[in-house]
Amino acid sequence: MRKVAVVAGGVSTWGVRSATWGELVQEAGNALFSSARSLGAKDVDSLFVGAAQPERFAFQSHVAPMTAELLGLHPWKVLRRNELACASGQAAIQDAYAAIASGLSDVAVVLGVEKMNIPSMAEATTSMANVLDRAWDGVQGGTAPPFFAMAAQRHMHEYGTTAEQMALVSVKNHKFANTNPKSQFYSKTFTKEKILSSPMVSPPLRLGDCSSMTDGSGAVLLVSEEKARTYTDTPVWISATAQYTDFHNLANMPSLSSWTGLKKAASELYQKGGIDPTDIDFAEVHDCFTISEIIEYEELGFCKKGQGGKFIQEGQSDLGGKVTVNPRGGLLGCGHPLGATGIGQAVEVLEQFQSKVPAARHVKDAEVALTHNLSGSANVHTLTLYRREN
Amino acid sequence: MPQTPSLLDFYPLEDEKSTRISKFFDNVRQGHFTTTRCTKDQSVHWPPRVVCPQCHGEALEWIELPKKGRLFAFSALLLGLPMGMEGEAGAVVGMVELDGWPIKIFSRIANAKYEDCHIGDAVEWDPYTLADGRVFFRFRKPAAPPPA
Ligand SMILES: [Zn+2]
Repeated sequence: MRKVAVVAGGVSTWGVRSATWGELVQEAGNALFSSARSLGAKDVDSLFVGAAQPERFAFQSHVAPMTAELLGLHPWKVLRRNELACASGQAAIQDAYAAIASGLSDVAVVLGVEKMNIPSMAEATTSMANVLDRAWDGVQGGTAPPFFAMAAQRHMHEYGTTAEQMALVSVKNHKFANTNPKSQFYSKTFTKEKILSSPMVSPPLRLGDCSSMTDGSGAVLLVSEEKARTYTDTPVWISATAQYTDFHNLANMPSLSSWTGLKKAASELYQKGGIDPTDIDFAEVHDCFTISEIIEYEELGFCKKGQGGKFIQEGQSDLGGKVTVNPRGGLLGCGHPLGATGIGQAVEVLEQFQSKVPAARHVKDAEVALTHNLSGSANVHTLTLYRREN
Repeated sequence: MPQTPSLLDFYPLEDEKSTRISKFFDNVRQGHFTTTRCTKDQSVHWPPRVVCPQCHGEALEWIELPKKGRLFAFSALLLGLPMGMEGEAGAVVGMVELDGWPIKIFSRIANAKYEDCHIGDAVEWDPYTLADGRVFFRFRKPAAPPPA
């Protein structure tokens, strides 16, 4: 296996955007090309596109060549589109990593994009419901909010987690998003009181517990070790990847409150990376809902099972705590444009290690970081481990 | 035939031309709640399958599932309802633990208000017919017993 570096990256502004799917693609491309030293379109031998549902949200398929055209690229080694719902972006990064590590590719652009705000919100929600087993779970009203609401209910029932503890996750991530001008909720203040009095979406989850429908895009450049210094003096290295899936239909889910698949994926990641959870300096995790981040603290081994609520309450996931979680602002603060989310997380890792982020969210002297996306009903977990030094 | 364009229609196509498990829907029509079980390794599937995911055998049999169960977890759909469900704000959904079976099925819970539901509440199977003649099922809170 060859070593693989992330050397450049950028994101568009995320939010409810007056821009089409293709326009978002072009914004991500420009963010990337302006962040890399001496990157020309002719250098790029491969393109990976993370896009969850362009067929539903933008009525467009065959999006990899469309993206290549919009960026002026003519990839001659690997051209792919990756769909893994909410993890499409990170999965695309892992595909590019595999292609470079194996020697198939040397210089790969990974672009993630989603256009989610369309004229009919009900039509968009319908498309989100097909992420579950549509004919058996979607048909019953299964979408993300009620699923994660049941996870929250069971976690509260079994471990005593509180609505206030969940709200604190949202407060922290919105606080970080206020340092991130590209985020959906930049300049919007979210206090605990505001979150706890926001409208109920699926009880016990309120609007302030939920990430949003977001238009956004991002792109990163992955290259082989020998090319890394061409594009930056401070490359970031992919140390390991891991994934696990244990069910799809909700009837086959081992537990609502324990995400066994994440525990297995994390164990694989730490073993491959030769580390344990205490080595992680910061983590970009999938806070699609506040309860998700609490369960993720536990399954990633940042705290004991059932102690996730206490972990946020004690400030252990804040800057200066045991492990800074979601310094970018998370999905709650930045928004969640499905295919772009994993790319946004990778850009944060790059900019943290390169000391390009504002001091208010900078994890100083960080050496090891992970990114995590769940997808669907937390039935897939996708993890990548990054190191600052080779 | 369904009236909704198929890519916006949550309900499965259930006739013999469309699926190899049309028997499940025939059974619903006759008031039976069924699924498949592998005759080789006895694993019970949900949803019904045509190949056993455990052993990849094709010798499956139809078995009856319990029509009674209990709420293991539940929530309600208050905001962001999908097309075709916009008028159903407040609908309760939950994981139903079937009595005596190691299966929990996600279902709409009819005849229920979120505020009145508790973990462990009894629910019962509730088949229904769509306007286009297709059938499906949900669970419901049992009707309150008549006053003594
Ligand atoms: Zn079998």
